[in-house]
Amino acid sequence: MSGWEAFSPDTLRSEAKAIAGRLNPVLLHFVEDCVGCALCEVNCPYTPAGEEYGPVEKAEPLRRIVRGQVFLAAKVLPWLFGARLPRSAEELDRWAELAYRCTNCGLCYITCPFGIHSGTMIQHLRYSLARTGRIPTLLKMMMDLEASGNVLSVEGFSKVWSELLGKLEGLGVSFDRKGAKYVYLPSLAEALITPGALVGTAKILNKLGLDWTMPSKPLSVRAPIANLAGDSGAALEVTRRIVDYVAGIGASTVVLSDGGYPYRFLRFDAPALLGKPLGFEVVHIVELLHEALRKGSLKLREVDQKITWHSPCQLGRMGGLIEEPAEVLSSTSKNFVKLESHGLLSKCCGGGNAIACVVPPTIEMFEGLLGGKIPISEKEKVFLDKLYKDMLIASKAKVDEIRKSGASTVITACVGCVHTLQLASKAHGLGVEIKTLPEYIAELLPE
Amino acid sequence: MDIFELAIYILPPYVVALFAFGVAYRVSRYIFMFRRVPVRRRQRPASKLLAGLVKTFLDPLIIDARMRKSDFIGGLILLHILGVIPLIFLLGQHVAMFSYWFPPYSVLRPLSIPSSATSPALTLTAPLKPASEMSWTFVESVWGPLTVILNGDLLAVLAMLGVSYKIGDKLWRAYRRVGHVRLGDFAALLLLLAILVTGFLATHHLPSGDIVTYRFVLGTHILLAEVLVAVLPFTKFWHFVFGYWYGKLHEWYDLKYRRGAL
Ligand code: SF4
Ligand code: SF4
Repeated sequence: MSGWEAFSPDTLRSEAKAIAGRLNPVLLHFVEDCVGCALCEVNCPYTPAGEEYGPVEKAEPLRRIVRGQVFLAAKVLPWLFGARLPRSAEELDRWAELAYRCTNCGLCYITCPFGIHSGTMIQHLRYSLARTGRIPTLLKMMMDLEASGNVLSVEGFSKVWSELLGKLEGLGVSFDRKGAKYVYLPSLAEALITPGALVGTAKILNKLGLDWTMPSKPLSVRAPIANLAGDSGAALEVTRRIVDYVAGIGASTVVLSDGGYPYRFLRFDAPALLGKPLGFEVVHIVELLHEALRKGSLKLREVDQKITWHSPCQLGRMGGLIEEPAEVLSSTSKNFVKLESHGLLSKCCGGGNAIACVVPPTIEMFEGLLGGKIPISEKEKVFLDKLYKDMLIASKAKVDEIRKSGASTVITACVGCVHTLQLASKAHGLGVEIKTLPEYIAELLPE
Repeated sequence: MDIFELAIYILPPYVVALFAFGVAYRVSRYIFMFRRVPVRRRQRPASKLLAGLVKTFLDPLIIDARMRKSDFIGGLILLHILGVIPLIFLLGQHVAMFSYWFPPYSVLRPLSIPSSATSPALTLTAPLKPASEMSWTFVESVWGPLTVILNGDLLAVLAMLGVSYKIGDKLWRAYRRVGHVRLGDFAALLLLLAILVTGFLATHHLPSGDIVTYRFVLGTHILLAEVLVAVLPFTKFWHFVFGYWYGKLHEWYDLKYRRGAL
């Protein structure tokens, strides 16, 4: 029986206990201080796909789990105080449907009058669902591959990586060089989906004259992808692997070109997971560019192209780099336009938090790379088809504002955003070019 | 002993004790669960952080006004801003009552709001001084022409409309089988409505002016308000004392102070 068919009340009960064990003051506040005003609905990218996908609705299952663990009244009268666990596989399926309608974009966090981040709760719900078997097969495969310690054990992946290495070698990149001050840390996901970002970053780091190196093989599928899928043990192991690698080189700074979840994870979440500082700084390539342009140590060529910036939620809102990328881009084109929602409330692309990574077109792409069918049950297929449909609805608001901006090129800095925008652009007939920031900037570096 | 005596003279210490226990219980959990997170914050100018703090509190209000007008008017303006907050803390009768229980509260006396829309006098029987040792000499309120809005009658009606809007909204959501609507939501709103209605009736000596009925209605009003205070730390009313302040301050600290999202 596949994980999508299974239903075990015992697993659910033990997961409920595990969640209670993970409670901290912030999560407790998120769980217990909601007044049910539903204002969070208005900015969630998934509400247009259905009122039931509003943040407060999606966080309700997690609240049900926690209430039954921590509140006395809810333990005694679970039906009255909303503390009931699912009693059938169908109910559990429903929870999984809710949990996979969240990109963890943080829009609800700012919108909520009480600063409640429903995305965090939904993430915890996903963790529990993964234990019950409700985890998309492709995500699970990537998590297991990453935990194995050799993400290049798949022939298709290793082929893509070695082609890329060839290009990087051509740029004079030295790999695994001890004593370098900067370590550039790309992931397998970037190599597969945004290879131009790796080449672009290498060119920028060279131009900035930094003493840098990078691993000769990716240390993770994407940061630890296990952290998205809900395996904290595997996430911890991969994080340690990254920390040990950087310590082995002796670098003081890690540079990332993926401004999606990996940036937020390594910059802000990993120290909490490890329980100690990482021992090095984590910066996104845009921070180095911004600093170099500010100091005047770098001048970029200017173009006339009408460009815009899609701020990845994990780099902007949740990563703190909102204006820096816009300032870098505006120095390259007089025709740089900000999107209508640019700022703290920048619209989400709708595909983050591993959603775009598991939808049917991505599965097809991976089947091509893996050279075979990914075993997906009929039930999971139905789940993924509906998810894809909803993802395209969720991405519509972003597509609309890009269209309204009149830009011909959208620059962004996240693997997930690039992939989602490509799918959404095709589905909604947007017809713009989508580029990563390092790719775009590398073309404008002075000779 | 009638309900009035029970509510005014007997219950207050028990209510305060329950409230204090509840507050201690809820706050202590936050203290015991606290763990320091070893994250290096992003440097941002203090002036921007300060402006960011104000924005953190304003953003939901702006979003509500722009994107959910009915809730902004019904839930925020009528219920919270005009209704409950000035009504609870500044209505003349409340200022007198709270000052009796807690004398320093009388510093708010000059700001008291009259109950009538037509007279700024701070009691129904003004200018007579009630025959009691602890009575005040009632005066005209400082609100002048603003009394047209700042008066107990209007604010109570607005608050009742606000609560009714909220109940209607919840019923509509419950009808559509929205999962987060729970029985407790209705209990809290109905309690609030009952307090407002009994308070309004007592002020107007309704349904009849005889002393027994008056004491019963006013006693019920005070008793229900005491129930609200006693259960406050265990219900969604907690947002008013803690959830709102903790939540928004934490969000500012996390997003703006630590991550630098300005
Ligand atoms: S906006 Fe906040 S308080 Fe209101 S329903 Fe959403 S999470 Fe709950
Ligand atoms: S984090 Fe984003 S997608 Fe998830 S519930 Fe909140 S607003 Fe919706």
